[in-house]
Amino acid sequence: MFSLSNCLILAGIIFATGAWGVLARRNVLVMLISVELMLNAVNLVFVSFARAHTNMAPQTLQPQAGESGQLCALFVIAIAAAEAAVGLAIVIALFRNRQTVDTREMRTLQQ
Amino acid sequence: MTFADAVFALCAAVCTVSAVAAVSRRNPVYSVVYMLPFFVGMTMLFVLLQAPFVAAVQMIIYGGAILVLFLFVLMLINLKPEELRDVFEGLPWALAAFAAAALAGVLAVFSRAGVSEEQRTAFKSATAAVTSAAGAEFGSVASLGGPLFKQFLVPFELVSVLIVVAILGAVLLSKKRV
Repeated sequence: MFSLSNCLILAGIIFATGAWGVLARRNVLVMLISVELMLNAVNLVFVSFARAHTNMAPQTLQPQAGESGQLCALFVIAIAAAEAAVGLAIVIALFRNRQTVDTREMRTLQQ
Repeated sequence: MTFADAVFALCAAVCTVSAVAAVSRRNPVYSVVYMLPFFVGMTMLFVLLQAPFVAAVQMIIYGGAILVLFLFVLMLINLKPEELRDVFEGLPWALAAFAAAALAGVLAVFSRAGVSEEQRTAFKSATAAVTSAAGAEFGSVASLGGPLFKQFLVPFELVSVLIVVAILGAVLLSKKRV
């Protein structure tokens, strides 16, 4: 049950759920939450492969194969925090100008 | 079924259910609140995968900072009742759900096929007391700190610059008069 394949499958399911949210929802905040879901799924993949590569270091001749994966996950978390801050600031600016967070209302370029 | 299997099944169930709930609730407040069990489940998965430091950072940054930021903005922008009745109307939601299910299927097939036999056995045999190249226990702060300040020093500094720029940008964007 607890295997590398199952961890990756779980990450795939979470990523697909996030993609569903971005495609189907029209509330900007929920779309941002869905992006966070997808970033978390990628983190899960990084950490799963990091664990799989812990004992493979002598074979692959990369001394810190496992640590690299976990560090990539840490970088993803840091960048996700920056992304959330900027994204939410944009949502606030948008709401101040348009009084809505619905993407159906944001079609000024089209009209 | 070992203890790790049981914990993994529990975390997988919690994460999947709360992720689907977060995406499908009409009220965005519920969406944000459903992210909390999701982040807790992910944290437990990281602990299970021998990444205690990543798990701690996940809980502090996501469960603490980002979730509160989302809730704060949600309360700040004061949604009107009709916008709380936001339904799925981008793509028709069934089409989007079908696309997402297809994506999940493709990812599942590839993640089963793309795992080599060595990776499978290495994953199974990794026990709690694996020591890393740095000599510390794998996944600990000591074993991550070495490479972070040696081979990953440039990206680390770039991330700090990025966060400063992001904070300044966020303050500038959300100021009333620029």
